[in-house]
Amino acid sequence: MKVLASGASSYHWIHPDDFREWVRIHKSREPEEKLMTEQEAVSRFVADGDYIAYDFSSLTRGPQALVREIIRQQKRNLWICAEFTLHDSTLLVGARCADRIDVGFLGYGNYIGRAVVEGQVQVFEWTNGALAFRMLAGARGIPFIPIRTLLGTDTFLQSGAKVVEDPFTGDPLCLVPALNPDVFLVHVHQADVYGNARIFGTNLFALEAAMASRKVIVSTEEIVDPLAFRQEPAKTTIPHFLVSAVVHLPFGAYPGGVPGRYELDLAHIQQLNAIETEEQVQGYLEAFVYTVRDHAELLEQKVGWRRLADMMRRGSIREGYQ
Amino acid sequence: MGNMDSDSGFTETEFMICLAARVLEDRKSVFVGWGIPQVVALLAERLYTPNLVQVFEFGAIGPQSQTPFVQGTMGGPSNVYRSLQWTTMNWAFSYAATGYLDYGMIGALQVDPYGNVNSTLLGGTYDRPRRRFAGSGGGNEVASLCWKTIVVLKHEPRRFVERLDFMTSPGYLTGLGARETAGLPRGTGPYRVVTSQALFGFEEETKRMLLLGVLQGLSADRVIHEMGFEPRIAEKVEVLEPPTREELAILRGEIDPARIIIGRPAG
Repeated sequence: MKVLASGASSYHWIHPDDFREWVRIHKSREPEEKLMTEQEAVSRFVADGDYIAYDFSSLTRGPQALVREIIRQQKRNLWICAEFTLHDSTLLVGARCADRIDVGFLGYGNYIGRAVVEGQVQVFEWTNGALAFRMLAGARGIPFIPIRTLLGTDTFLQSGAKVVEDPFTGDPLCLVPALNPDVFLVHVHQADVYGNARIFGTNLFALEAAMASRKVIVSTEEIVDPLAFRQEPAKTTIPHFLVSAVVHLPFGAYPGGVPGRYELDLAHIQQLNAIETEEQVQGYLEAFVYTVRDHAELLEQKVGWRRLADMMRRGSIREGYQ
Repeated sequence: MGNMDSDSGFTETEFMICLAARVLEDRKSVFVGWGIPQVVALLAERLYTPNLVQVFEFGAIGPQSQTPFVQGTMGGPSNVYRSLQWTTMNWAFSYAATGYLDYGMIGALQVDPYGNVNSTLLGGTYDRPRRRFAGSGGGNEVASLCWKTIVVLKHEPRRFVERLDFMTSPGYLTGLGARETAGLPRGTGPYRVVTSQALFGFEEETKRMLLLGVLQGLSADRVIHEMGFEPRIAEKVEVLEPPTREELAILRGEIDPARIIIGRPAG
């Protein structure tokens, strides 16, 4: 196949056989109890330098409690897959945890934009679709996948994609490398102690990313009986043998919402969106991350039952989410 | 419809949203980008295109979104309410890739004469831009794969530039035939550019931007003066009516009562 053009950027990639080898050795097919605290899950399964992906968005069912724990443990040199990163990239970069970002969509606000301008974080240009298809390739056990986007643009030039002559049509075709993250973080509606998990509503690429990642941390609103999965198998989003750890974190998407459970905390999110300066980001981290021991303490001391109850009350749309 | 319907003035953003909503067709499908396009789709659904199938990259196919619109959310329960299907991002983009999506609607920081779009950065170099913005999101997919792309942006000279600071998403690239040469799907490309003052299409032979209409009360000269390049001008430039009372009532009353996106008219 003739390569017609190559994007300039480096990219995270591992050979499909190396990933298969990892799966063979490290991902147990036996249903093991994996319930643990967020401290244990993050300290065991997130290492400095890891490539991290997550689902869904910062505002909706994002693994925000796990992200805060990563910050609390001061993980370093992370490379994040920013499909819909809003304030979580601000916090991960502000805390000096992440220094590389695959974009995606790089929102919100002025802090993260300035961090790019000042070289505090390195960005690699992709698109939401390209990253999702890279993840699909990672989950298919293939080294790359063809797409008909990026073509003709500067986005392509700053990506790690290639344009080749398609052996079937003879036309130019874009190839993107498979993505096999080191860690996938996902917050779900229901999971059992083994890691079988259910998401209700839409998701970005939860199954693909769980298959494609070496280590998978599931945080869940609710722990359910394992029998529930066998009784309604069509509802399973992720089977247990993909999963490394299960953490029971009600309100784990806070300050975002979880569809069918609770709405987002708009006032808190506006506070995050307003972060522009170094002082503001450090102030936020101090107030809501470093000064609490864990997620439960954040909810108890910084959020409070009244606000949580209000989020539940506003989350009144239930249809489709069970 | 009379054009005296607008009583107490309107904002530029309101006009832009109303104009874009009038461009959409009923009984077709549209890939809805994040932000302003969501508001456009909501207004269109309420007034003009009740049977338009909307698709969100978050995996919602055919939602009937609830109002009011909460800025920033797209995958929340009110956004994806009563969809035909809930799926994932790969499938959402696959609907566009296989030709099921008639329209795509995206915003832009800058647009050039061929409808190419920048949403990534302004000034400087890629590594050290003067200002960095969100990047493609799903914009590149929408602009590459939907049959007809609609770009919505404010009418300001700095946004209409001969040369983009960064080409995030493809319009007609360098002109007629360039998309196909690059490998993009045949017969796709920008269809309309909707601004706070005017409506543009693209000239058949050159694929350069073509002024089709101007907001009532503005001259074509004034509109062109506020652009960084000279568009082609249609033989007959249409007069675009301001937001109607009905459009404003829905925008202000149902969709954005806090006026976070649409703003408030001066005075």
